[in-house]
Amino acid sequence: MTGPAPSITDSVDSLVAALSGQQYVTERGLATALFLAARLEKPLLIEGEPGCGKTEIAKALAAASGAELIRLQCYEGLDASTALYEWDYPRQLLTIRLHERDRTTAQLETEIYTERFLLRRPLLRALEGTGPVRPVLLIDELDRADEEFEGLLLEVLSDFQVTVPEIGTIRAGTIPLVILTSNRTRELGDAIKRRCLYAYIGYPSAEKEVEILRKKVPELSLHFAQAIAQFVGRLRTQDDLAKRPGVAETLDWAAALLALHESTVRPETAVETLGLLLKDARDLESYGKERVTELLATP
Amino acid sequence: MSSRPASSGLAQRVATRLQGFLDRLRAEGLRTGVAAGVDLSRALESLPPLDRDAVREACRVTLAKSPAEVAVVDRVFEEYFGTRAIPVTPASEQGKLPSGRDRGGRASSRSRAPVPELEETEEELHGRYSPAAPAPGVPRPEMAPERLRRYRSGARRFRRTVATLPGRRWRAHPVGAVDLRRTARAGLRSAGEWMELARRTRASRRADLVILWDVSGSMREHTANLFGLVYALHRVVRRTRVFAFGHELVEVGPVLSGRSYARAFPLLEEALEPTGGGTRIAHCLAEFRHRHGSELRRTSTVLVVSDGWDLGEADTLSDELRRVRSRAHRLVWVNPYAAQPGFEPATAALRAALPYVDLIASPDDFPAPHGPASPRRGPPAATVI
Repeated sequence: MTGPAPSITDSVDSLVAALSGQQYVTERGLATALFLAARLEKPLLIEGEPGCGKTEIAKALAAASGAELIRLQCYEGLDASTALYEWDYPRQLLTIRLHERDRTTAQLETEIYTERFLLRRPLLRALEGTGPVRPVLLIDELDRADEEFEGLLLEVLSDFQVTVPEIGTIRAGTIPLVILTSNRTRELGDAIKRRCLYAYIGYPSAEKEVEILRKKVPELSLHFAQAIAQFVGRLRTQDDLAKRPGVAETLDWAAALLALHESTVRPETAVETLGLLLKDARDLESYGKERVTELLATP
Repeated sequence: MSSRPASSGLAQRVATRLQGFLDRLRAEGLRTGVAAGVDLSRALESLPPLDRDAVREACRVTLAKSPAEVAVVDRVFEEYFGTRAIPVTPASEQGKLPSGRDRGGRASSRSRAPVPELEETEEELHGRYSPAAPAPGVPRPEMAPERLRRYRSGARRFRRTVATLPGRRWRAHPVGAVDLRRTARAGLRSAGEWMELARRTRASRRADLVILWDVSGSMREHTANLFGLVYALHRVVRRTRVFAFGHELVEVGPVLSGRSYARAFPLLEEALEPTGGGTRIAHCLAEFRHRHGSELRRTSTVLVVSDGWDLGEADTLSDELRRVRSRAHRLVWVNPYAAQPGFEPATAALRAALPYVDLIASPDDFPAPHGPASPRRGPPAATVI
């Protein structure tokens, strides 16, 4: 790395502090992983439970370093023309029509395959940064894309370059900080994992969750935040849940309770608002008032 | 990368010391390449060298690639750099290890690497496979290469007929919808005139496969056939996860990965030990759902390999199967007795499973020239071959 300017990725501590300034509470382990990803110029693959801040960390990092956040949301069938680049066919056709008379075919061909006609998609845009601040490239929910797309990523992630046959190879001036996230709905390929550093975000401890709640929803009293974190923590340990609530759900629930002018977790309101925590009809059905009261009463 | 000469010397020494650590991780089944080792030493160069937690974190970040591997790295790190004694390696190996003090000033006598070659190990700290270990009581399956080949082609057929579904990706095809993008692109070659319409159709995609394999006592006599089948499916269908269950559930896929049939079996024997003797299908399915339920998708085909002799409650089993079925693409039950004349799904477990199973097959259907039959498309219906 050749950046002489002080950067938030100078040390693990400065990174933790910078993220904290963005209302993102991070474990030291994750901060170390980010720090190493920045230092080694390698992509960081973050896996973990849904709603535990995988996407958020990229946003916080970009905001903290003042970098541009380039996000690529993955889905099944995502391909090079949506992720990397595409030629602007209508403009090319128009140019051909306009210059049919005054140019030869060879001239036209060289003209329409220039960067002017290239539609830049997120991966290519991430490689074109030239400023002192490294852009943050977030490749979100990679497990949703198919294996063919992983193959496409290999060149981009290992060499930070893209080959456009008609133009040549485009190399990154400033190497972006790449964060990939996965919800583990499928195992990612070995090749992609080998190119990445790896970190796993699980559910936070009760203390961390209280800290997160207080940062994100400052109106919460300490006592109320503790009660919320404790209830959600207990809910997560229940064996019969199809889908456990993440931190995002906890935050939504806290905001909902505040909107209802609650100042403590009461069984009645908890049951009424449980839909914010449990996103599965069967789970919701099995948590009636008795079970919620029982959960709240457990010492 | 800015180089810091003072610390790179240290990092160099630490990296050399870490070689034994890496070897041990590999012996524990982690597929750690040379590149990962290089990453680790570069990572150590960037970190405060005396910070034990930071070093552990660097090991995790660079060497592990899944939560299970994170746990292995943590455990081996504790053993290797922790306070517990590690068995001394045979004299022949000792010369290879550097001596002196390690990072953090700990004497390195306790951190000698155990031998990565398992065959030569006199004493192992953890119950890895050892020739001296008592036989787990599973007969070694002898399988003629010809039969294995037939299983493999059966597995391919299974992949084609059962574990395939329409994808979202397009592919060029002479018949199908007009592909405007390709047509326009081809048109550029003829000065913008569209001479020919390119067409495309949806490419089919392969489903992933989850095998839940009953290895309890009652299934023992079928081990040879079933291991052949499971091995072939794991080999042929990409993204197959294999779980063995008896009293408890264990994932055995990693043991099969990249190993020949003959080499995989002894390792499998050892991996199966925690499964216990009895059968608790419902309990193990519940366990599977808790630990891996979120990984099941509508593209997953679930294959339960069991005779259906169960110690648990049929109602719970039925409930678990319904949950699995509601998330998965297909649910196939492979019963070793299904091919016998007069077979009827009579066990309580099989009866409970019937409403949710798309297909009941016998392991012998796989190598057969025309089996397993394509399951009926549409609503799940029990089909007995």
